[in-house]
This record gives sequence, C-alpha cells and structure tokens, in this order.
Amino acid sequence: MNGAQAAVAALEREGVDFIFGYPGGTIMPLYDALFQHAVRHVLCRHEAAAAFAAGGYARSSGRVGVCCATSGPGATNLVTALLDAYMDSVPVVAVTGQVRTELMGTDGFQEADVCAITQAITKRNFLVDDASQIAPTLAAAFALARSGRPGPVLVDIPTDVLKAQAGELEAVAAPPSRSAVPRASDEAIRSAVARIRAARRPVAIVGGGVRAGAVEAFRTFVSLLGLPHASTLMALGAAAPDDPHALGMLGMHGLKAANKAVQRADLVLALGMRFDDRVTGKPDRFARGAAVIHADIDATEFNKIIPADVTLHGDLRETLEALVAELVRSPVPRFDDWALEARALGGPLPSDRVDDRILSATDVLDRFFAALPADAIVTTDVGQHQMWAAQRARPAQPRRFITSSGLGAMGFGFPAAIGAQFANPGAPVFAIVGDGGFQMCLPELATLRRYGVPAKVLLIDNQNLGMVRQWQELFFSARYSATNLADNPDFAAIARAYGIEAFSLSDPQHAAATIAAFIDHAGPALLHAACHPTENVWPMIPAGMTVDDLMEARA
Amino acid sequence: MTCDLRLRDARSVARIINLAHRLNCRCTRIEASSAGGDTRASLTFDGPALALTRLRAQIDRVLEYEAPEGARAAS
Repeated sequence: MNGAQAAVAALEREGVDFIFGYPGGTIMPLYDALFQHAVRHVLCRHEAAAAFAAGGYARSSGRVGVCCATSGPGATNLVTALLDAYMDSVPVVAVTGQVRTELMGTDGFQEADVCAITQAITKRNFLVDDASQIAPTLAAAFALARSGRPGPVLVDIPTDVLKAQAGELEAVAAPPSRSAVPRASDEAIRSAVARIRAARRPVAIVGGGVRAGAVEAFRTFVSLLGLPHASTLMALGAAAPDDPHALGMLGMHGLKAANKAVQRADLVLALGMRFDDRVTGKPDRFARGAAVIHADIDATEFNKIIPADVTLHGDLRETLEALVAELVRSPVPRFDDWALEARALGGPLPSDRVDDRILSATDVLDRFFAALPADAIVTTDVGQHQMWAAQRARPAQPRRFITSSGLGAMGFGFPAAIGAQFANPGAPVFAIVGDGGFQMCLPELATLRRYGVPAKVLLIDNQNLGMVRQWQELFFSARYSATNLADNPDFAAIARAYGIEAFSLSDPQHAAATIAAFIDHAGPALLHAACHPTENVWPMIPAGMTVDDLMEARA
Repeated sequence: MTCDLRLRDARSVARIINLAHRLNCRCTRIEASSAGGDTRASLTFDGPALALTRLRAQIDRVLEYEAPEGARAAS
C-alpha cells in the first residue's frame, strides 16, 4: 500500500469513523485513499469549520476528532480551531498535506511551514518524511492526543510521501509508550482531607477536567459532604441538574451565588480547573480568605495563577475516589448548612428587558431551555448568547454543553454542532449562535444539507456584535465602533436557499409556539430570532475586578 | 535558571525558547547538539522568579510530550 492508504488504514485502526476536511492539491492522495472507504469523509465548506467540527465531535463523544486539509492555506485555516482544542484540552488529530519533499523550503506553491506555525498550539506535531513511518506516527499522534491532558496533534505529510510505498500495515510497531498517569500521593490526599475536615465554608470549583470520566466521582464526592460547588464554563453539567448544592457557573458572567460563595469560602477545592482570568478576575483578590486544594492532571497548572496549599497531581476521577476513601475512614463532615447559606447568596438572574414589545434574547433562551429535550446536546458560539446560555443551561452531562471556552473563538458553534451530530446521530443537537459568529461559518448550511444532518441553529440576532457593544457601552463611553450589524442579511432566506427549513421570530407573543415548532422539527432547521439590540448580559464582573465590583444593571 | 535537557525533537529547543520569551523570561545561553534523533540542550534563562517557575513547569510539559522515555530535565 502507499502512504495515503497506510494513513487511512491507520485511522481505521484507531476507530475513526469520520474525518472532517477539505481537499486540495497536496492532500489528494489521501482523498483518493478515502474514496468509497469505510472511514467517511465529511466535506465542510472551510477548513476552519472542518477543524471545529472535529472538535465538536471530540467534545461531545470523548473520542479523538480528526480533520484534514491541504498544504498552505488549507493548513493555516486549521490554526484557530487547533488552538481552540489546545486551550480546552480537546483530543484532535489534524492531518495536513505538504508540498513534495524537493519543494520544501523553496516557497513552493501552497507551501507553509505548518509545523513551525502550530508548534505552540499543539501538544506535538510531526513532519513525516518516510512513508513507512506514516502509520506509526499516526498511532503515536492518537496516543498523545488522548493521553494525560488531552489536546491537538498535527501530522504533516508531503504529497510524495503519501504516494510512496509504505509497506504493510501489519509491520507497524506499537506507538511509543507514554509515561504513567500520575497519581496523587497518599500524603497529599490525607493533607487535603485534613483541610476539608477543618473547613467551615468549603466550596468546590469543578472544571473541564471532569470531562475525563470523573462526573460520577465528582457527584459522589460533593454529595458525600453536602458540599456547595460552582462550575467553570467547561464543566457545566458536572452536577446533576437537580443537585441542591450546585451554585452554577462562576466568573465574569457567572451566577452571584457562585461568585459570592467562593469569595466567602475558607477552603476552595479546585477540581480539574485552571483559574482562568475570566474566573478569577483579579487573582490576588480572588477567594482571599481561602486555603486552596488544587487537583489536576497537568502539574503546569499548579501555582500558575492561584497559589495552592495542597496539590493533587493525577487523574481527577482517581483523585476524587481517593479523597472519598480517605474521608469515609472517619465520620464524614457535612456542610449542608453552609451550602444553604451559599445558595441564598444568589437570587434570580437580573433582567435587562428594555422594551416588552421587542423580543428579548434572554426570554427566547429561557423558553428554549425549558422546552429542550433532556438528552439534547447544545453548542454555542461566542459572545452574549454564549453567556446567557451558560447561565441558563442545565445539561445532564458536561459533554452536552459544548462551547469555545478558553479561546472564545467566534465561528465555533455551528460547525461544532455538526461534528457533535455525527458523533451522536440519535441525539437532538442545537447550535446557539449570534449574528456575528454565524456569518463566520454560514456556508456550513451546505454541510447540513448535503449529509441531512438534523442539527438545528438557534440564531440570536441582535444586529450587533453584542458583547463588544456591551463593553463599548460600559467601558468606552458608548462609542460604538464597528459593532453595528443593522445591515444583516435575511438569514431565513439564506437558510432556505441552502434547502434548510427556516423559522422566523420577532413578536414576543409568538415565542413559545415558534420555539416549540423549531425544536420539534424533524430535520435541520434555523430559527432566526430578531432580538432587542441593546440587551446586556448580567451579572457582570468587569475584567480584572472582583465580585465586590459585580454589576447587575447599567449604572 | 539552567536547564539541561535531553529531547527527541530538536525543534523543541526553539519551542522552549519561544515559551521563555512569552513568559517574560530571556534565554541568555544556548548550547545544543543533535545526533541520531537525540538532542541535548543546555539553556540558561533569566527573568522574574515567578515567571521562571512557570517556565520550568511549561518545559516539563514539553518534555513529557517529547522526551525519550525515562528522560527528564535536570536543573
């Protein structure tokens, strides 16, 4: 077999069922090998969308997402989505074509040094110069992408190497072994438990690490203690939807109870989270009176932002199970009274419905989430709608709420939903997008149409780049520079032009019926919700500030 | 801070130097040699103590992904 056939065989060996990509000159041998192959290729309309779709596939399933592109512009178009996967620890393998070996370094047509370009945003990348090494390199790439703290890996293959003889796949060596998964020491576990026993106001903050098979262990741990707990954007769904001790999302647009409870805590248990600045605000004023126990698979995160009194380096599930095992060796403390007090620190989400005659985005989302099937997967794009959704979503599992958290990449939500739908063909999948981000990936309507993907798009159209507009209103003296999108196109007409069913909503009186019809529609669909242009996201802790500076309305 | 590293991929030297500058450190000495897929590098960094601590952690992560089995950096 040639190198391209070896590559596809190696992908099949890894259990890959879908590759999201876009063809071009140097990757053509791979596309030839994929022709009528059991490994299905999903043609997106832009390489960035293909890589975001691979991310959505991986985030929703836990399996490695795969994308491919040609050299030069094809490869560079993957970059944003690879960084997105790197920031949010998502296992993705990208396969790129490269100009033929003799042209490398000559500024050949569609040449880009994609390995150099992606070095800082992948766990590792590989340039394969020997066809016999394609299969073992891909095996190593998959092992690395899914091991430890997951992340993206890129494999760049010159087109002549894809065409060269690769030998038989059976001769492929096993991927190089990785270092063993670290395990928190018994001493550290005992130290952490001693801190928990001594605490009066402990709060857990659960982060994206919980997605690595730790949801049940987390629920057991917090339930055992009656422990109040907040969630980062990455971990929404870690708590059971009816968990009475769940405080919701914390951070810049987090819920008041979550932020205030953390600020009053005397012990913070940071579980698989990394103290992003959108969580901490001003780090030296974050949870000032609290000791910190920090559990993570990645030791790089310890003491990076917030100093830890106890570090638990290991797989989060194993760490939580070890904590529970140590706790039950003696009478287990309960924190129910403090949990009730913590919940009482909050209240209903502040409303910003300026004019009742105009459709409110938050009203649309309230109704949408109330009507959403329990097994639905929701993706979001980035901006106001993302935060409104995060404040309201009650997913049963973290893999059912998918969003670009660390990178905040507009254009993510819609292709991520397509990837999630391919990974979960029986699940209802919805993308919540804004009018700005949707226009970055709008041609993916063609992908929905081509494959009959039943994913649906809820478009919150406020004719603005809403989050930037909100910041301009609050922090730039209402000087609205380049955020007005009043000349938006007719989105419903565009959807119909692609052969996608479209619903339009502008009258608040019709909201309930239209949303219900949209959710119940059997195939792919767009709901265009024409919303109030100046509705803001509340509460808000301005960047670099603390919960003491929390805003719940315009000044 | 001086790091004596053994790496599988010579390009990791460049990655580490880039990381240093991103973390507000400076690379003040570079000695490296590469042969047979085995790269040895001795790098000295200067910078604020906290930044150097963060750099050290980031280097360890690069090594975890790229160093030959069993090889680890020595400061």
